[in-house]
Amino acid sequence: MSTNVETVSVKEYFHSLYEGVTSTVKGMWITFKYVWGHKAVSIEYPEVREVLPANARMRLFNDVDNCISCNMCAIACPVDCIYISSVPRPAGQEVPKTDDGTPMRQVLTQYVIDTALCCYCGLCTTVCPTESLTHSNDYEFAQYTLGDMKYDYLSPEVIAWKPRIVGKEPVYRK
Amino acid sequence: MQGWDVPGEKIEPTRTVETEKLKTELLTLNMGPQHPATHGVLRVEIKTDSEVVAHAIPHIGYLHRCMEKHSENLDYRGVIPFVDRMDYLGAMNQELGYVLAVEKMLGTQVPRRAEFIRVLVSELQRIASHLMAFGTYALDLGAFSPFLYAFDEREKILRLFEELSGARLLYNYIWVGGVWNDITADQLARVAEFCDNFEEELKKYDVLVSQNKIFMERTRHVGIMDADMCYRYGATGPVLRGAGVKWDLRKVKPYSIYNEFEFDVPVADGDRGATIGDCYSRYIVRMKEMSESVRIIRQVLTKIESGPIMGKVSKVIKLPKGEVFVRTECPRGELGIHLVSDGEAKPYRLKVKSPCFTHVSMLGEVAPGQLIADFVATIGSIDIVLGEVDR
Repeated sequence: MSTNVETVSVKEYFHSLYEGVTSTVKGMWITFKYVWGHKAVSIEYPEVREVLPANARMRLFNDVDNCISCNMCAIACPVDCIYISSVPRPAGQEVPKTDDGTPMRQVLTQYVIDTALCCYCGLCTTVCPTESLTHSNDYEFAQYTLGDMKYDYLSPEVIAWKPRIVGKEPVYRK
Repeated sequence: MQGWDVPGEKIEPTRTVETEKLKTELLTLNMGPQHPATHGVLRVEIKTDSEVVAHAIPHIGYLHRCMEKHSENLDYRGVIPFVDRMDYLGAMNQELGYVLAVEKMLGTQVPRRAEFIRVLVSELQRIASHLMAFGTYALDLGAFSPFLYAFDEREKILRLFEELSGARLLYNYIWVGGVWNDITADQLARVAEFCDNFEEELKKYDVLVSQNKIFMERTRHVGIMDADMCYRYGATGPVLRGAGVKWDLRKVKPYSIYNEFEFDVPVADGDRGATIGDCYSRYIVRMKEMSESVRIIRQVLTKIESGPIMGKVSKVIKLPKGEVFVRTECPRGELGIHLVSDGEAKPYRLKVKSPCFTHVSMLGEVAPGQLIADFVATIGSIDIVLGEVDR
């Protein structure tokens, strides 16, 4: 369309009208074919749930039984959402080992991830030497307050996720 | 709005046949920042003379996230998730641009298989991005179902990316030295199947939208950005090719392994009664680019080699002192990455030249004299992503 008034002959006018109707009918026919014989792509969400790929990057889970407090995840994190602190293990105490045999020389005192800050980039999981920090497939964790998005991975309720995510019972190596 | 008029510049109402005898006053209208037709948070301040736009000023900055400054505090790997977030519809291409810049300074050898996977995901991302542009453009002009069909196809690509990288939109998949995960034979077979189906879909889109008389009347001879204007502003990508200039970095200055593939650079040729450089030309260039991308993907599927997917990169990436400028062809145009290093583990400066920023600035010149509805069509046709404009 332009703002200049163009002169259109009667023949041209009816021709463009004809073209408009036929091309729209052609398009409508394509749309009409979707009525039958096309599989619906929408998922009725709460009843039907899509199975996510195994490596989908959803909520982080740290298996504290295998965490050696090496701080690599906190260094790699581009948004600094991992709060980790540890103390050296008291002398004389037996040093427990992780599942892959790495000695746990530090005692983990705090492991908190602010998932509201997390950008789900996955960099922290790739640097983890014992692969204790992984992305789980949990995606339904809406909360009422921002503070609830902070997860303390040393708390019993979060440790209780372990059988569901890792498939092993927690051992509480402390 | 007070203080709007630039001193010394008097804006006259556009003279048309209707306004010739009537003296009308200009009405200031704010389009956006939350207008559905502005594709994000772009605010365009338009002065309208009845239904004709007399003057338009795009205001940007509503999605500014300080990405360039923030990346100066991150290591080179940590910047990649932020690069994703610039253009969230073409994240793979953005990652590739940044990673190529780092690799060029580092001198890393990327394994052949990783290069093939990079080209594969970039072209798939280009299709996904153009599908989004096609769908939302039809939606802007009042057609709803093409949007759903486009999303149906786009979903297949996003699902593949989710399996590859773990995320649907912000992948962090292309890493310095290679790619994160390997692609399986099953996934490659699915890509081949997608290519076969997609050619049929493209024909469907052509009948449904491109050949539609109403769509043509809405887009032909509207928002003409000719080659001269593109040169003046430095426009790239489909906007430049829509103006009839055959310029594609993948062909002119091949990066990665694009020189090994055969493909054409589609340019606007003014068929179906379109003026070169109008909205319809830009739209048609995108549609043709999708079939060219399918052609490249088919060649990747036949040529792909087995082997490692990560090259040798040290644990802490430290670039030598110096600077580098790398250009890549993204779905929306040329992305320029200017990386300055002072020898530390963090970038000294990362400057991004965004194609959309250039294209947004062209709106002010193309708008005067257009109807408001045509202005909406013009904004849609340049396919902007405001995340990339503001960064």
